[in-house]
Amino acid sequence: MFGAKHILPKGNPPLESAYDAVLIGGGLHNLATAWFLAKEHNMNRVAVLEKNYIGYGGAGRNTAIVRANQRTQKNIPLYKEALDLWPVLTRELDFNLMFYNCGNLNLLHSEAAVKAARTNIATAKFLGVESHLLDAAETAKRVPALNLSQKITHPIHGAMYHPPGGIVRHDAVVWGLAKGAAEKGVHIHQQTEALGIATKNGRVTGVKTPAGTIYTPRVLVSAGGYTAGLLYHMLKIKMPISVLTIQAMVTQPLKPLLDHVVSSGAYHVYANQTLKGEIATGAHMDPWPNYTTQTTAGYIKHQAEALVELMPCLAGVKFMRSWAGLADMTPDMAPIMDGNDPVEGVYMNCGWGYFGFKSCSATGRYMARFLATGKCPDRLKPFALARFKNHRLMGETAALVNYTPDN
Amino acid sequence: MSLLIHCPICGRRNGYEFRYGGEDKGAYPAGRSLTPEAWYEYVHANTCSAGVVAEWWCHRHGCGLWFTIFRDTRTNRQVLEHGGRS
Ligand SMILES: Cc1cc2nc3c(=O)[nH]c(=O)nc-3n(C[C@H](O)[C@H](O)[C@H](O)COP(=O)(O)OP(=O)(O)OC[C@H]3O[C@@H](n4cnc5c(N)ncnc54)[C@H](O)[C@@H]3O)c2cc1C
Ligand SMILES: [Zn+2]
Repeated sequence: MFGAKHILPKGNPPLESAYDAVLIGGGLHNLATAWFLAKEHNMNRVAVLEKNYIGYGGAGRNTAIVRANQRTQKNIPLYKEALDLWPVLTRELDFNLMFYNCGNLNLLHSEAAVKAARTNIATAKFLGVESHLLDAAETAKRVPALNLSQKITHPIHGAMYHPPGGIVRHDAVVWGLAKGAAEKGVHIHQQTEALGIATKNGRVTGVKTPAGTIYTPRVLVSAGGYTAGLLYHMLKIKMPISVLTIQAMVTQPLKPLLDHVVSSGAYHVYANQTLKGEIATGAHMDPWPNYTTQTTAGYIKHQAEALVELMPCLAGVKFMRSWAGLADMTPDMAPIMDGNDPVEGVYMNCGWGYFGFKSCSATGRYMARFLATGKCPDRLKPFALARFKNHRLMGETAALVNYTPDN
Repeated sequence: MSLLIHCPICGRRNGYEFRYGGEDKGAYPAGRSLTPEAWYEYVHANTCSAGVVAEWWCHRHGCGLWFTIFRDTRTNRQVLEHGGRS
């Protein structure tokens, strides 16, 4: 990490009294936005404010999975662009992001799941994204460690196979983007908390920090799981979001045995083998909102049981570490990107739940365009907050995800 | 994740016996004057406060009662309305 002592390229910058744009949160989305503002829009009088250190939030806690086989026609093109950007960013940032496109296997454990996968695969193909249906034997050929027994809790019927996805080293993305943006003149202020947003006549005027107010005509609030709370605290904007702690863990390093990202809805688990050899696994969200980022013994047990049923060779392998972060969930499992409503000059990018790593490259690029021009790019229009107020939710999930009395 | 909740009927019980029901939004906004905006506020809009929040809970695996508690979302503890220990 670039801690307080580690110096960014050009050193720790002075906090100026005015910037052309202030981005609240030093996570992936804002670092990508800052990079593209400088690179594609010639805007480098830009400040990124980070309360802790860059990568403190979901940026440094995610399990690094990238893919573009989502469910709806509105979502897939954004994720496809993000996926296509990893090799480009690796080159442009001159930083090895360790993109490992090993492919994703989404295990199917029932006829209903196979049927649902067929729809997803057809949508992906229609939008130019590679996705196939595999039967059980073809699935096991890809990952011989998988258990094809009919006697397990949820026997494997097959898989949705998405070859272009995989994993990207998340810390490298943080470092690469921060280095690139700082070299282009962006000021990354760590240990600098945004305390409030100043407005006048419906327009933003600045951001309050412990060191005083920074004047700016544009503020982007994109602080991962903290965004919704900040928007309410600072501007009294209520978001259709629930913030939950989500956990992950890694085993001791093993010789290569798993060269795909494997996920299973029925077992409520996903796993991949990192380049260091650890099996990284997760999926559990707490059943009620909280900001604790605490882990639970019960879930570690669940992971061990599920993984060993799916891949019996993992029996006896030890977990080395577990950790947790925040997931800001929307009811339709799609993010919210908006701006200039209700406050001119205030932009928001949030609701990325547990899937906001894979999208940060393309989202940063579009948010940069949005901030630079003041006009919402067409690609982002479906993600406006108004879809909830108009009760036109996106169909990214078949059933509404809602932490309210309805379910 | 540990949580103890005080049910008005059953007393202090393990949080996993309860169903979280969302932020306390007040009375059901029924009636002819209900706008799409007000319905949005009622079903979707949250404060997401990192701090003390008034919430609906149901003692699902107990007496079935719906009631309101105050909980600090930073510590995951039920508290009194002003934030003190309950
Ligand atoms: C365990 C886990 C696993 C995940 N796995 C995946 C995955 O496999 N694939 C995937 O695509 N996504 C995954 N995600 C989701 C992804 O990590 C997040 O959606 C994404 O990182 C959030 O965006 P961000 O990086 O821009 O924000 P974050 O990195 O969350 O950044 C928010 C930052 O804002 C700062 N901040 C907060 N308040 C303030 C303030 N007042 N002023 C200044 N700064 C502030 C915080 O300190 C923090 O650094 C996972 C998340 C978790 C927690
Ligand atoms: Zn009870």
